[in-house]
Amino acid sequence: MGKPTDLVQGTLDLLILKTLANEAMHGWAISQRIHAVSKEVLQVNQGALYPALHRLEQNGWIKAEWGESENNRKAKYYSLTRAGKKYMEKEEANWERLSAAIGLVLKIG
Amino acid sequence: MMRWVHKLRNGLRTLLQRRAEERELDSELRFHLEHQIAQNVAAGMSASEARRAALIDFGGVEQLKEDCRDMRKANWIEDFLQDLRYAARMLASSPGFTAVAVLTLALGIGANTAIFSVVDAVLLKPLPFRQPENLVALWETETAPGSFPLNGMDYLDWRNLNKTFESMSLYSWPNSANLSAKDVSEGATIIRTQANFFSQLGVRAQIGRTFAEGEDQSGGNHVAVLSDGFWKKQFGASPTILNSTVKLNGEPFTVIGVMPAWYRMQALADLWVPLDMAKDKLGPRGNHQWRAIGRVKSGVTTAQARADLHTIAEGLVKQYPGNNRGVDAIVKPIRDELIGDFQNQALILFGAVALVLLIACANVANLLLARSTGRRREIAVRNALGAGHGRLVRQMLTESLLLSLVGGLLGVLVAYAGVTVMRSSLPATIPQPNPISVGVVPLLFTLVISVFVGVLFGMAPAVQASSADSCEALKPKGMAGDGGNQRGHWLRNTLVIGEIALSLALLIGAGLLLRTFANLRATDTGVRGEGVLTATVRLPENKYAAFEQGRIFYTQLLDKLQAAPGIQAAAITSKLPVLGGNNGYIKIPGQQEQEMTGPLVETTSMMGDYFRAFRIPLLSGRDFTPADHELTAKCIREYLAAKTDAERAALKKYELPAVINQTMARAFWPNQSAIGKVFENFVLFRVIGVVGDVRQQGLRTAPLPESYYPIEWDLTSPTAPFAIVAQGSGTREGLTGTVRNTVRSLDDTLALMNARTMPQIIADSMPDTQFEAALLATMATLALILAAVGTYGVMSYVVGRRTNEIGIRMALGAARPQITVMVLRQAGVLVVSGILLGLLGAAAGARLMQGLLVGVQPIDPLTYSSMAGVLAGVALLACFLPVRRAMRVDPMVALRYE
Repeated sequence: MGKPTDLVQGTLDLLILKTLANEAMHGWAISQRIHAVSKEVLQVNQGALYPALHRLEQNGWIKAEWGESENNRKAKYYSLTRAGKKYMEKEEANWERLSAAIGLVLKIG
Repeated sequence: MMRWVHKLRNGLRTLLQRRAEERELDSELRFHLEHQIAQNVAAGMSASEARRAALIDFGGVEQLKEDCRDMRKANWIEDFLQDLRYAARMLASSPGFTAVAVLTLALGIGANTAIFSVVDAVLLKPLPFRQPENLVALWETETAPGSFPLNGMDYLDWRNLNKTFESMSLYSWPNSANLSAKDVSEGATIIRTQANFFSQLGVRAQIGRTFAEGEDQSGGNHVAVLSDGFWKKQFGASPTILNSTVKLNGEPFTVIGVMPAWYRMQALADLWVPLDMAKDKLGPRGNHQWRAIGRVKSGVTTAQARADLHTIAEGLVKQYPGNNRGVDAIVKPIRDELIGDFQNQALILFGAVALVLLIACANVANLLLARSTGRRREIAVRNALGAGHGRLVRQMLTESLLLSLVGGLLGVLVAYAGVTVMRSSLPATIPQPNPISVGVVPLLFTLVISVFVGVLFGMAPAVQASSADSCEALKPKGMAGDGGNQRGHWLRNTLVIGEIALSLALLIGAGLLLRTFANLRATDTGVRGEGVLTATVRLPENKYAAFEQGRIFYTQLLDKLQAAPGIQAAAITSKLPVLGGNNGYIKIPGQQEQEMTGPLVETTSMMGDYFRAFRIPLLSGRDFTPADHELTAKCIREYLAAKTDAERAALKKYELPAVINQTMARAFWPNQSAIGKVFENFVLFRVIGVVGDVRQQGLRTAPLPESYYPIEWDLTSPTAPFAIVAQGSGTREGLTGTVRNTVRSLDDTLALMNARTMPQIIADSMPDTQFEAALLATMATLALILAAVGTYGVMSYVVGRRTNEIGIRMALGAARPQITVMVLRQAGVLVVSGILLGLLGAAAGARLMQGLLVGVQPIDPLTYSSMAGVLAGVALLACFLPVRRAMRVDPMVALRYE
């Protein structure tokens, strides 16, 4: 596994929320999906993932349900709430503004 | 906003379903781990390798779980509960410490709550009347300084001519009367009021009713309202009292109501009856004998009301230049009238009690510091394990708060006890417009104080904890380098010095007041009270309406008393010494042109051995003889028979005898003998004797000029109350019995009222100093005990810490006395610093008490030095046990101590 790039907490939240935007997943699946979609650059380890998941649940942006996984094991599935969706959209907009601004600065030097 | 709801809901769920959540978290992480292992295996590792790699990758499971839990916590609630549980465990594990701390706090907080309850009931709660801000008390001025009761005619003019008052109500001073009902025959104190008195205040009866309009006209005014206390005491609170009849001085009155228990504006009254408001019954111009209250119209200020009455008063001065010269209106808000004097006292009481609480806090802080020093290791370990600095401080504070809240709870009990005691022992000078109880506001106050106190003394160990150096603390104890926690050390010493200083200040305050009390007690009232019994009788109108009847009765009474066994001197008098208030102006023919000027002269009339009974010295001249009484009687008879002005003017031929006191002699005839001099008071009087001064108005005021006349002078109203004076060698009960029997033998319908010994009367005339001194002395004693306990605690601790050092010294050859000196020197520094600080503090604060002190300066060397000595002695005593322990140290044990 490659060295994980450090992710700021707020960014991790955004990634998780985005990942859950279309379907409910359990923690393992979330980390695999992020790893895959980012072309194996981003590696979210469980030390950061699970606290983040619990925090997001505490704040009401995602909700959890116990269900059956692919191999018939019980797993905790997270899904986006409506409030979470709004928050995600807001943060997404912020992120785009921020990264565009950084890009502009980097182009100059 | 929704986030909070979610947070709260989740937090509550976490609290309530912790186990279930733990299991869920566990299976969630386990799920992840299994998948990781599976992935490793799929990547080619063996089963055990895969597992190992996954676990390493996973990192610290516990930490992860903790992090997740942290995210879910309803943070502050759970943390707080955890702290609370921990604190409770810590406190329970050292019961001795906890008991001492809680008791100390209970005493301090309880005392504060008790005093606050008094202050709340008296000063803070609104007066229990309808719109009390519009009520005022009315007085008059005269040419002599001070405020005086009203004249009846002036009152009527004020009432009829004013523009700013909604209503006014007249009432009398308390008067005694014989009361007889079915099973009761007692003396009772009565106040007569105008019919609108209670309705003006807005006070209703608890059963029955108060006076109705028109009941203060003659014919309708034979109704009475009882006080709650009198009803309970004499009639057993029986509801059949309504519409029953009682006889006052022989006349029947119907009881129409009973006042509620909380009504205490006229605390002395047993009954109220309506006045007769007919003009001729209110006294002529010039007689000042009434009290009055008024209700101003809404929006009118006291100043406006006063200006209004002032205009009327000015008009009256022009109309009646003789009687009304210098007479003006005084309008006082009823609040000032009822409780104005109390504010100063309240401040002092509060100050004292607050000091006690501070000392208690210092004590508990010291105790906590001692304990936390012993817990330095535990704190260091927790620090090392990752408890944040803030978390530790929070935990310390939680412990302190728990202590102080429990102490506060117990303190409420202390407060209840204190209030119950005070309620019955409060002197009459401390007004009680509202009943004193530990109500809602004082309880809230207790809560606030408890929290405040908890934070206050909780800072001490918290400060110490924050400076704990983990490394240092984790080293084994007893090493040579263990210099101890410097900051904590300094803190403890400061606390002890502070305690001692505060205790000394309190002791000095109490000492000053006690000396004032002693001084007042020792003040020469001018009379010797030992062995003197006094009581009042009042003849009923139906049998003794005429002068002759009264004279015969009292003459016979005096004869019988003088012959009775056990009585060495007896007298009948119109009023007793020290209970002044009957005064007026005199005129010196040839010297004074105008009436109503000059000093007021107190007047007393008597018959019998008045001066001998009270041991008032006769300084020159002689006492009254039977001939003097005869002459006065003759004059009175003529006065009563006189119908025309000419007949009245003829009375001027009489020169009645009078005895005067030294102050009067000096005031009117300075530098000469007063014997033989003449003065005028309706008729002419010739001075036949001069006696020593008596303080007629309590101990704090200088004696007034006083003149004594033969009793016939006041027998023009034979139904007025007269006092019996009996000086004898028997017991109080014996004398009272003798007097009562003598009175009854002449007329068995008469009640003996207010039987008191003279020392009792004198003591009753200075009640507030006694009360304050007692209260302050109690506080000071409390403070002393607390300071002693505090000093003991510190010394114990100090000796304990130096046990090693002491052991070494002794092993090296130091003798026991040297050790003692060393330990005592350390104590001595603390005590001396505390005493010096206390002396300075007391000197600064004593100035505030200046108004209360009599005969002693705020900075009185005797009081200061003796109290400092007492405190030093107590502190020394407190060191005794620790010092003994130091001396008993076995060097071998001490050196091995780890």
